[in-house]
Amino acid sequence: MLEQMTMEQTILDAAREVFETMIFMDIEPAGSEPQDTSSEGAALMGSITFRGGLEGCLTICLSEACARSIAANMLGMDSGDQLSLSEVGDAVGEVANMTMGSIKHRIQNTYTDLQVSIPTVVSGRQLFPMPGEDFTRGQVCTTLDEIFPVTFSMYYKQSQS
Amino acid sequence: MSKSLMIVDDSATMRKIIMKTVRMSGLEFDRTEEAGNGAEALEKLKTSAVDIVLCDINMPEMNGVEFVKQARQMDCSKNTKIIMVSTESGQDLIDNLMSSGANGYITKPFTPERFQEKLTPFMN
Repeated sequence: MLEQMTMEQTILDAAREVFETMIFMDIEPAGSEPQDTSSEGAALMGSITFRGGLEGCLTICLSEACARSIAANMLGMDSGDQLSLSEVGDAVGEVANMTMGSIKHRIQNTYTDLQVSIPTVVSGRQLFPMPGEDFTRGQVCTTLDEIFPVTFSMYYKQSQS
Repeated sequence: MSKSLMIVDDSATMRKIIMKTVRMSGLEFDRTEEAGNGAEALEKLKTSAVDIVLCDINMPEMNGVEFVKQARQMDCSKNTKIIMVSTESGQDLIDNLMSSGANGYITKPFTPERFQEKLTPFMN
């Protein structure tokens, strides 16, 4: 199975590709632990599951303000303030979807049969993924445009079958 | 020559992003349509055929693979150019789509240049 550090680098490379190509925001690593964003109000978590030779899920956690900024950039708008929460969530789901797609592309020589779900997005406060036991976690903490903390987490394990 | 375009994706936001990127590519369409899944797209094609369809693969109700197969069996869309736009990048899947009747493939994340490259051959 892929080493945790290799997976974390793969996640970062995939996220960079997505943010540089379609969102036009700088994304940089920011330590090993997620920053506490609970004081920033509501948060969103986009997640997407996968199965095949490897199974698990990828999540992206960020503040609503960050999500609005991402959605605005993706849509070519000056500000995301006018966007509905549904539209903002849709954009976060697409970021999770494209990041997972890029990860899948990068590991397809090792795992040829990964099947990916349709992304889901939830909003709330102090959101964090809760996988079952036996999963390895690859976590990448980043900042967008030196302002917004964004955490990518991938929980994965070798399939039994 | 006037051209028409349909964007098929279950995400309304992604449909807007694709439309924005098509505009940025410099390509112009006289008429654009949208659909949220393959079944909705087939229904719209029956009443209003288009020249080019940009279609996602992973969608609820009817996915892009099934859409291509059914679209190729309908008189109204047998000559429509269908370009898949998806995060899926497995060669087996792409081969399957092309043999089912798709005319091209664009992976997400994408750029305006990529749309220009893939769509320009079908604009004349």
